[in-house]
Amino acid sequence: MGKHGFLRNGLILLVIAVFFLPFLPLLIWSVAQGWFFPQLLPEWTAQHWQQLGSSTSRVGEGLMQSLAIALTTTGLSLLVGLPAGRALGVMDFPGKAVLKLVLLMPIIVSPLATLMGIQFILIRLGLSGTLLGVVLVHLMPTIPYMTLVLSSVFANFDVQYETQARSLGASPLQVLWQVTLPLIAPGVMVGALFAFLISWNEFLLTFFVGSGQVFTLPMVLFTLLQGGNNGLVAAVAITSIVPGLVFLLIASRSLQTSTALGGLGNV
Amino acid sequence: MSQLVLQHLTKRFQGIVAVQDLWLTVETGEIVSLLGPSGCGKSTTLQMVAGVLAPDVGTIELDGRLLNRVPPEKRDIALVLQRGLLFPHLSVGENVAFGLKMRGVNRVERERQAIAMLRHVQLDGFAQRHPSDCRGGQAQRVALARSLVIHPKLLLLDEPLSALDANLREEMQELILRLRTQTGVTMLVVTHDQTEAVVMSDRIAVMFDGCLRQVDTPEQLYRQPCDEAIARFMGGVNFFPAIAQGKNWRMADGSTLRSQFPAEGMIQATIRPEQIQVLTTAPTGRNVLPATIVANRFVGTQRRLILATAGDQMLQAWVSPTLEVAIGQSVWAYLPPEALWCFSGAIAPVESSLSQPVTGN
Repeated sequence: MGKHGFLRNGLILLVIAVFFLPFLPLLIWSVAQGWFFPQLLPEWTAQHWQQLGSSTSRVGEGLMQSLAIALTTTGLSLLVGLPAGRALGVMDFPGKAVLKLVLLMPIIVSPLATLMGIQFILIRLGLSGTLLGVVLVHLMPTIPYMTLVLSSVFANFDVQYETQARSLGASPLQVLWQVTLPLIAPGVMVGALFAFLISWNEFLLTFFVGSGQVFTLPMVLFTLLQGGNNGLVAAVAITSIVPGLVFLLIASRSLQTSTALGGLGNV
Repeated sequence: MSQLVLQHLTKRFQGIVAVQDLWLTVETGEIVSLLGPSGCGKSTTLQMVAGVLAPDVGTIELDGRLLNRVPPEKRDIALVLQRGLLFPHLSVGENVAFGLKMRGVNRVERERQAIAMLRHVQLDGFAQRHPSDCRGGQAQRVALARSLVIHPKLLLLDEPLSALDANLREEMQELILRLRTQTGVTMLVVTHDQTEAVVMSDRIAVMFDGCLRQVDTPEQLYRQPCDEAIARFMGGVNFFPAIAQGKNWRMADGSTLRSQFPAEGMIQATIRPEQIQVLTTAPTGRNVLPATIVANRFVGTQRRLILATAGDQMLQAWVSPTLEVAIGQSVWAYLPPEALWCFSGAIAPVESSLSQPVTGN
């Protein structure tokens, strides 16, 4: 045990180092007045983080918009992905393989190629430059991801659990809440994590469809990068990691349960 | 009273008939097994009764109530599927209480009933356990408790014993029979395993290729099967052609057997291997065939012999394991008249082999 424990702890430290060391300069920049060559350590300041909270930096605004868009996108893709994934995972029908391939198209085809058409239609619908318009284009990559993840989750799900629950007196809605969703929760968490992060990090589509009026966190970062204030950029960059990490932490809790990961085998 | 009545039940899948015009009545408190090889339509029938599949033609009635358009959760029919199929995200107690929860029974009451029901299936103190901590037999017993706690009119069991090993099988079988006595619940069992059907059922309904072929008590199915296919499925191994004139049946080699059952013309005669008596000294009287032992296999509770009669007819005899015989030994096989059974309309290859000795005589 002792020797193994030592080795394991060492490995964990190594993993932490590899993953988190790149973020160290970011962390230092965010609390540095300026950090130039001969200095070993910079002069400390909290001004970047204070600036983050002020309304002139528009970081707060970007954060809220990003969060609203990402959560709406995740919710909507779940709404479509759950029934679609169930159909693909559980049922057998002609053309299923083709359909799965077609589902991948929005991921394979570069958004650059479709952007002009999308923009044209959204302008006609009056959705260009609105939150709804941005959510709609974010759904293009998230729905396929969600559907594919959930279809493999459902492929490993025994529908007899549903039959069993019905025979014990559960209505279809009760079956969904009491049996199906709890059993596929880990897969749903993974799908939701994907959808949330895709939407959260999306830049190109937001930039064009939002027409400068939808101001998400990546937009803020982009603007700041051009401004050249390294300290503020670092602070915003760190902020942008937080929601993803929080989501991952929530998700990892349900991923640890024994029924988890069943669906991930063939994602 | 909870009588299940199936009438005209028919189901096709893309034009292929899965169940064909099935009629079956299960009386109150009765255990009936649907027995047949896989793909015979027994599971389809179960699913139609449970409400998972809708029949194309026919009616399902329970207690005089037409169930065809009733959703599964309102049918008063509980399922016990293979291996128990416990919900893995709930504790054993929560599993048992599931049906009560769906009916809006409050927590205190449903816990009380779940624990009482667990005691019924001899799983005291299991309520807090996780389903993954239950072994095969235990999971199945939890599943039984989970189904019985909602007092269904009909219990559907899908191969309840086949996943269990020999000792557990017997325990489970006794438990099911005792629960039937205690609750008076009617049961329909689906299985491909004839021993499982025989030990559990009051009556067995044998199905082949979507059709119900014979519904009878287990004893009746052993002794007087309707045709050779059923006889073979019930473990029959001895079949030989004969010409019947009333109770006198003449075998292919010319020897005549006396049966209790009169028949006429060409028949396919049969006798269960455990009914043949093997004697080492020549007896007097009828129905004795001299034979030679060609195979001798000891299987613990029995000794399984293959005999070749003087007319080169092979017969399997399962005798007492204490009988001491050797391969090549000459013995006498006694075929009791009450054990000889036959089917008319013998199948083609049998007729051709029969025709020669008949004309020769």
